[in-house]
Amino acid sequence: MYGWVGQVLRINLSKETVKKEALDPVEARNYIGARGLGIRLWMKEVDLKVDPLSDKNNLIFITGPLTGTLATNAGRYNVVCKAPLTGAMAASNSGGYWGPELKYAGYDAVIFEGKAKKPVYIWINDDEVEIRSAEHLWGKTVYDTTDVLKDETDEDAKVSCIGPGGENLVKFACIINDYTRAAGRSGVGAVMGAKNLKAVVVKGSGGVKVANPQEFMEAVTKARQMVKDHPVTGQGLGLYGTNILVNILDQSGGLPVRNFQDSGTFPNADATGGESLTAKYLVRPKGCKGCSISCGRINRVAAGQFATFGEGPEYEAAWGYGADCGIDNLEPILKASNLCNELGIDAITMPTTIACAMELFEKGYITKKQTGCDLSFGNEEAIVDLTYKTAYRQGFGNELAEGSFRLASKYGHPELSMSVKKQEMPAYDPRALQGMGLNYATNNRGGCHVRGYMTAPEILGIPEKLDNLVTEGKAEWTKIFQDLTGAVDSAGICLFLTFAIGAPEVAEQLKAATGVDYTVEEVMKAGERIWNLERMFNMKNGFTRADDTLPPRVLKEPIKYGPCKGSVSKLDVMLPEYYKVRGWSKDGVPTKEKLAELSIQL
Amino acid sequence: MAKVLTLAPEKCTGCQTCELACSFKHTQEFRPGASRVSVLTWESVGVSVPMMCLQCDDAACMKVCPMGAISKSDTGAMMVNEARCIKCKMCVTACPFGNTAYDAVEMKIIKCDLCGGEPECARFCPSGAITFREAATATLSKKRAYAAKFKDLLQEVSE
Amino acid sequence: MKVKFFAIFRELTGTKETGDFAAETLEELLQALGQHYGKKFTDWVWADGGLSDDVIILINGRAIEHLDGVKTRLQPADEIAIFPKMAGG
Repeated sequence: MYGWVGQVLRINLSKETVKKEALDPVEARNYIGARGLGIRLWMKEVDLKVDPLSDKNNLIFITGPLTGTLATNAGRYNVVCKAPLTGAMAASNSGGYWGPELKYAGYDAVIFEGKAKKPVYIWINDDEVEIRSAEHLWGKTVYDTTDVLKDETDEDAKVSCIGPGGENLVKFACIINDYTRAAGRSGVGAVMGAKNLKAVVVKGSGGVKVANPQEFMEAVTKARQMVKDHPVTGQGLGLYGTNILVNILDQSGGLPVRNFQDSGTFPNADATGGESLTAKYLVRPKGCKGCSISCGRINRVAAGQFATFGEGPEYEAAWGYGADCGIDNLEPILKASNLCNELGIDAITMPTTIACAMELFEKGYITKKQTGCDLSFGNEEAIVDLTYKTAYRQGFGNELAEGSFRLASKYGHPELSMSVKKQEMPAYDPRALQGMGLNYATNNRGGCHVRGYMTAPEILGIPEKLDNLVTEGKAEWTKIFQDLTGAVDSAGICLFLTFAIGAPEVAEQLKAATGVDYTVEEVMKAGERIWNLERMFNMKNGFTRADDTLPPRVLKEPIKYGPCKGSVSKLDVMLPEYYKVRGWSKDGVPTKEKLAELSIQL
Repeated sequence: MAKVLTLAPEKCTGCQTCELACSFKHTQEFRPGASRVSVLTWESVGVSVPMMCLQCDDAACMKVCPMGAISKSDTGAMMVNEARCIKCKMCVTACPFGNTAYDAVEMKIIKCDLCGGEPECARFCPSGAITFREAATATLSKKRAYAAKFKDLLQEVSE
Repeated sequence: MKVKFFAIFRELTGTKETGDFAAETLEELLQALGQHYGKKFTDWVWADGGLSDDVIILINGRAIEHLDGVKTRLQPADEIAIFPKMAGG
């Protein structure tokens, strides 16, 4: 095969067996790779009702056909399993260098079945695959684990691993590769931890071939030029990182503040934004494999109680620990978000769960007796301390480790969890961005911004400016963004490209790489197919129309301050339109006709 | 005037795009193991450095080659004549920088050949860490930056 | 009126905000800012005789696309925020 390397590694951790299998070319063509193909392969083999933390929940690391090539920003892979946080399908997307290396070793994917009796790691050195003891690594942080494994295997090997968060089954533990890149959301790290699988280490000496080298280079050169010429991908993201968004969301009135209580404007938001980060703490921008954008931020706080060194934060983490926790000092934010990487926990769910706890504390639903500290909004020490304690499930951290929905429910106030399908919403208030609200409510993995980034048209004017406060047309736009993202995620390229390139450039690169006749229509259709397959997984797991909703606060309490004052989410207006645009029943179920049109066979 | 490859490690983002472009140019596949340029990264300090043959005038690889298989091309690249090469790998040992290597897959000596005068690494490098330019101007920016320190110093003294 | 600058505009102007300018319309304000801050500023803001696609301008938090564009009339108490085209996520 071209683009795809054509081989899948299957490792049964219970039986300690390793098998190499051919990749099914028909499934690959229909579901492309990474997110789409991973979910398809998972659903074919696993009982959909499986307990996410049981040994029956397969865990799949999977690349796309463009991963590891010179295609625009093709450094990505996905981790697929049933998610402990949501009970929905998880496909967490990460960059760095690990995904490409897996292909150079000769595999599109690794499927993990079962559960190891004792902690193990996997050493994949081209054809040779070993299951090795990881007992000496259990308890170690991501950084230390990565260092030790490079020493034990090969200094050029790439490591994807869990930290204490995954070991301790934190419901939103992530898997971190190459020290700092996270397959971040929904708790894929806890599934890895439940399997007693500490790390997957890869070194490959092979390569990735493309079907039509000349056509591929033409497509790549054109797309790379567009990425270079666009002000966002060619300049802004590299200069300031994603955290540049703090100020524009604040100025537009869409920045959620103090667990979405005081959304709109945050005094001194600027102190937490990308401009301040760049001026004071940026060491250097960093790029994933083949990246021309380099949004990655190597950061350093040189001295003081929050001294730290690491990578990040993205806008969502800076907002989560910042405005959402009522904090306007970047130093504790950097310290806490670096700690998330080091300990292997999701830097969106962690701070937003702390923000929820802060509101529970403020309202007196929990007290120092539970929290062990004064958990008022703005407590800078607490965000660092509780992040640490959550990864190790110490004290109140043990309750935070369940995520905001289970925490707030335990104390009788689930409405204070700012989550959708139990996963926390990121840094865009649905009352200020109507389309983003629709995307959150309908997102197959719950509160998620990266699978239907309506912020682009609603705030940033990409590809054109839509009014963020109106509902008209948002159903159609949301579908297009969701479907395109499905294809982009599955191809193995970075979502940020879509600020500069569109479906035509994705199709051209895919076609030349794989030799499959992908057209713009085919690519969008594949994205829609993936979206509907995920939806069917949810339907068969008991999710209904009632789960396509938002926290009561954003549906009922108007924004109090700023340019969007008075606004609530008008989800009830958009949702029926969305189902119609999707060709689903009025209850949001994909119809037989729609499934047939998309050739989805369950 | 001959152009030379110029490296600016302080600009390198560690993306390894150069490795992908180089391997594809030489092997028609994306195989970093076949790349004539390598990016070395020190994660603990956040530093990446691209390394490749910068074409010594008085090259150890050329001097040590028992077959006289290495010579300078008109683009200024030290080239390996594959017809003469006996793969003794003495050049690999002799290069003090490790920039001449043996590719076990294709079973041949690999080193930067400047892509015949248009190096793909420089063409694709997104950050300006690798550039290909006139030898005389290649170090000028560094010279200017250093000279500016004298300017600042002298300005201070005269003020 | 208060004009706030973000990202690259802070580097072009050397400031985060200014209250030194007054104008009847956004267009006039941008011209006055261009005269004061120079060619680079002007080049960022204008392209082919119109407002550049690479700039985002909010007046009191509303994008000017949903107001009257550069013809939007300004009041003394208005806050104008100027950004380069940006994204993240």
